[in-house]
Amino acid sequence: MKTKIGVLFITLMFALVLSACGNGSDEAKELLNENKNTEAKDGLKIAISVDPDGLDPHRTTASSTFVITNNIYDTLVKVTKDGEIEPSLAASYEQSEDGKTLTFNLREDVQFHDGTALTAKDVAYSFERIKDELGPRKDNYAYITEVNVIDDYTIEFKAESPSASFISDFAYPWAAIVKDGADETLKKDPVGTGPYKLVNWTPQDKIVLEGVDHYNEGQIQNVEFKMMPDSTAQVTSFKKGDIHLIETTGDVVDTLGDATIIEIDNNSVQLMAMNLENDYLSNKKLRQAINMAVDKEELINAVWWGYGKQIGSHYPPVLKGYVDTTGTYPYDVKKAKALVEESGAKGITLNMKLPSDYPNYVAAGQIIAEKLEAIGIHVKIETIEWGTWLTDVYGNRDYDLTVVGHTGRIEGYDLLEKYNSTRSDNYFNYKNTEIDDLLSSIKVELDEERRMDMYEQVQTILAEEVPALYIQEPTRIYGISDDLEGFSAYPIDVFELKDLKFKE
Amino acid sequence: MKEIIRRIASSIVLIIVVSFVTFFMLMLIPGDAVEISLGTEATPERVTELRAALGMDAPWYTQYMSWFTHALAGDFGVSFTYGENVTTLLLSRLPVTLSLMLMAIVIAVPLALTIGVIAALKQNKTFDIIARTLMQMGDAMPQFWIALIFLVYIAAQIEIFPISGFTPFSESVYGGVMSLFLPAVVLAFGMIATLIRIVRSSMLHSLKQDYMLMTRVSGVHPVRAIIKYPLRDALIAPLTVIGIQISGLISGVIVVESIFSLPGVGRLLFSAVLKRDLFLILGLVSFIVTSVIIITLITDILYILLNKKMRRNES
Repeated sequence: MKTKIGVLFITLMFALVLSACGNGSDEAKELLNENKNTEAKDGLKIAISVDPDGLDPHRTTASSTFVITNNIYDTLVKVTKDGEIEPSLAASYEQSEDGKTLTFNLREDVQFHDGTALTAKDVAYSFERIKDELGPRKDNYAYITEVNVIDDYTIEFKAESPSASFISDFAYPWAAIVKDGADETLKKDPVGTGPYKLVNWTPQDKIVLEGVDHYNEGQIQNVEFKMMPDSTAQVTSFKKGDIHLIETTGDVVDTLGDATIIEIDNNSVQLMAMNLENDYLSNKKLRQAINMAVDKEELINAVWWGYGKQIGSHYPPVLKGYVDTTGTYPYDVKKAKALVEESGAKGITLNMKLPSDYPNYVAAGQIIAEKLEAIGIHVKIETIEWGTWLTDVYGNRDYDLTVVGHTGRIEGYDLLEKYNSTRSDNYFNYKNTEIDDLLSSIKVELDEERRMDMYEQVQTILAEEVPALYIQEPTRIYGISDDLEGFSAYPIDVFELKDLKFKE
Repeated sequence: MKEIIRRIASSIVLIIVVSFVTFFMLMLIPGDAVEISLGTEATPERVTELRAALGMDAPWYTQYMSWFTHALAGDFGVSFTYGENVTTLLLSRLPVTLSLMLMAIVIAVPLALTIGVIAALKQNKTFDIIARTLMQMGDAMPQFWIALIFLVYIAAQIEIFPISGFTPFSESVYGGVMSLFLPAVVLAFGMIATLIRIVRSSMLHSLKQDYMLMTRVSGVHPVRAIIKYPLRDALIAPLTVIGIQISGLISGVIVVESIFSLPGVGRLLFSAVLKRDLFLILGLVSFIVTSVIIITLITDILYILLNKKMRRNES
């Protein structure tokens, strides 16, 4: 009997040893690498909480992917920290008089990580791929009707109509240039021209990158993104010195001690959307009442520990053309109550669907619900998982209220276009011909001053009509260990590894 | 032997049924991989088009049959999220989870045996009362909570325990053990209370049997008598529940792997569900179900064999 148990244990231990021998050699190599790194003050470690959704920039919309791929691939042009466009793979570019043609002259010294040289063919292929049926951003590039390779280093894009966001559309990380003929294996084996190449990716464990010869060479050779889903683990590792860079939240900032804290305006918009299909919510008075019932400052303090900038319409302060509309409906419970009374909505019940994957949105929703109870509107909260949210709220528009965020864009139009009454992503069910007209004019207006003028009008109308309770432009907070410098973030949700270096 | 063949056949049917139910449930719940990958950029037209491009617009039974026939041939498909073969992903994760679970068992079982046996021998004495109180507490403390406490108060303070990640045993046996030790203790916590209870009650049961009286009458030394009879029952008692414990361990593994950032099967499954990565979920669920069934089968067979031997011994 005892021997049986003994045999069982030995078998178990044997299985343990066997199972451990799975992926030996390259792990060992890495360890050697790591030892080398510490000598030369190299080996940057960054915590990330979500795995990238594959490393193919043309096949996803997840920012967790772009944080990584942004360093592996290049784009034709880039956006600076201040939102200006500057050359990257394209040494120069010109836009025709009528605004419908863009010609790029490529750099001639660029190589992919596998050694092949970059030519206009790769660029043409990349946009073919972005625009094919598997490309999630296909619609954003549908207005580009022709891509012509002029010679090896010249390429021309033609649009059906002049577009204000023409050039900026080439700066997003999802407009990355891949190799001619690259297929779906890019998801795990990315080949780009960027300053870093992929060494290996163990899903849910780590992503290891290594610097390459590049016109934009990075200072740090070896970089490791460590996947840490739990924020307590991230902060604890950061404090212990195992991790150099984390993205964090307002509540732990004070506990990070010597670390450098960098706050960056996120260029995105968080709001509580209302479904105007609901009879009560179609009444502007009720929407105004809802806006007056909530003290945004208090809300931002409670949910985001005060890290965020109030907004009055669907437009973040950091974006060009912003006007301050936060004063349109100041916090006033008395007036709000009166407006509810007037609109005949006293005692109604609205459902609020909140995405459980985003605890901040859930918390914000709960606080808003309480405020609405105070002015005589009942709110039935339903917390649903993100996948369900996308189907119910975004797809079927089956909701009354919801709290969500929209990612930032370089050109305001790309943020605002969902208010066009004909758009299928107008989940507010908002219809206003004035806005429709303004948006179509903005799209083709190339004169910046006139465009900004129209952005101002759109903002003022939205702030007045309030199809949503516009909450804030969130602030991203990064904790950076005190031996690291050069960090800066860009208005498109990414940062660049090449900017970073260890202090001497 | 006939019994064993019958069990194996019914296990295969069970595996097929479970994979089918999993597939069906994934079709019923809202949200799919396409919607999630498009996120708030999704427009209904884009969703429809992308689904068609990925072959996800076919009726569910066609999709299931196509998956099933491929699976029979050993091809579990490619993960939508990672662009990697499901089998490759699973095999790369298995060492972590297996080692973690085995380590938890190695910690829990001997400890539970010792405590359970002593508690039974000292029934209603101080040791027993303390053990019972601890068991209650062990049951009451959620694993994620213990895991966080360990992380903040042990891993962060003591240099030898890493806060996150897994060191493969091939690289360093010491590093591997250390990187799994705290998570394994957390998992052991989750199963130890049940184990102690089973050991203790089986001991108590045997101690009260008539044959124990017989041993005393016939002058066998009490220690010898205890080793010969009740202890034996107590030793095999955990075996009966270990199959159930392992299915319980899997849910614990998801929590523990997430908190300690271990790249294991549990976390893979969790993220696959969130991303509705159909093939990955199906592959993992089928694998987990298969292993649970096999483990139960093995424990059952072992139990039968041990029982037979005992019966022979007694006669």
